[in-house]
Amino acid sequence: MGFLAWLEASGLAEWVRSSIAGYPSMIAFHALGMAIMVGLSLLLDLRILGWFAGIPLQALQRFFGLAWIGFGINFLSGSALFTAQATSYIVDWVFMTKMTLVVLGAITAGILQPAVAKAGPGGVSGGMKAVAGLAIVFWIVAIVMGRLTAYL
Amino acid sequence: MDAFADWLVSTPINGLVLNLAWSWPTLESLHFLALCLLMGSLLIMDLRLIGFNRIIPLQAVHSLMPVAIGAFAVNLITGMGFLFGDPYTYFANWAFWFKMSLIVLAGLNFLVYFTKVEPVILRLGPNDPTPVFAKAVGVMSLVFWFGVLSYGRLLPYLGTGGG
Repeated sequence: MGFLAWLEASGLAEWVRSSIAGYPSMIAFHALGMAIMVGLSLLLDLRILGWFAGIPLQALQRFFGLAWIGFGINFLSGSALFTAQATSYIVDWVFMTKMTLVVLGAITAGILQPAVAKAGPGGVSGGMKAVAGLAIVFWIVAIVMGRLTAYL
Repeated sequence: MDAFADWLVSTPINGLVLNLAWSWPTLESLHFLALCLLMGSLLIMDLRLIGFNRIIPLQAVHSLMPVAIGAFAVNLITGMGFLFGDPYTYFANWAFWFKMSLIVLAGLNFLVYFTKVEPVILRLGPNDPTPVFAKAVGVMSLVFWFGVLSYGRLLPYLGTGGG
């Protein structure tokens, strides 16, 4: 039996699939973490691109910290949801595209967080702005693909 | 309520929402993206109101207000799309009414912010601490809106409805 089949047969997977609270509670936490991680990331990226210029770039540092809490909530709730249908998710291209974009989005946050902490009055480099622009695209497509995962 | 639901399904919007394969998922994707922008901007504004990250000038954090209002408008419109599509299910679901009540409470809390809190904090120094009353309004905003988000996501599993 492969690892994914073993996951799918686990007690956690059974709880997510069959209990009254399992799936709804995990999906609600997943929406909560998404709002925190993606919501903050989108606004921080827009700030890096020059919007809301009155907000000091250095202030973003702590909001990135908060965004990672949202990411953690989604890593845990998402892992639980994954176990419930592991063998189907792994072959679903919509789901796999979403996961790729989530990883790319997280990488942009990891790059931008130290960059804003070091930013002087002149702002951040053009390269960092490009990363912020890409981040917005990654997050938007990740959300759309995540929603479409429910349909395929 | 039934007559109202009958009217909703009799409109051409009902067909538009239900009969095209892409319209419901498109409304959902927009609803999710806008909720991220709404919650993200609220987190930054309300946490500053509560006292987190005081290096942000109170006057500057205010520049996020159009994002929150615009995102809420998108969710109001896309949310109404769901209602036109499947009103009987939503109206019969207590979690839907609970979510709507929380939105009303969040709206009343915003009115308190707009009339009582904003005029006070805009006169403070940029990095000043905020009064206890303002902090309370910020906490209530986060409680109500995260409640809206949670009950919104739990809607299909609670109450009598599916969908």
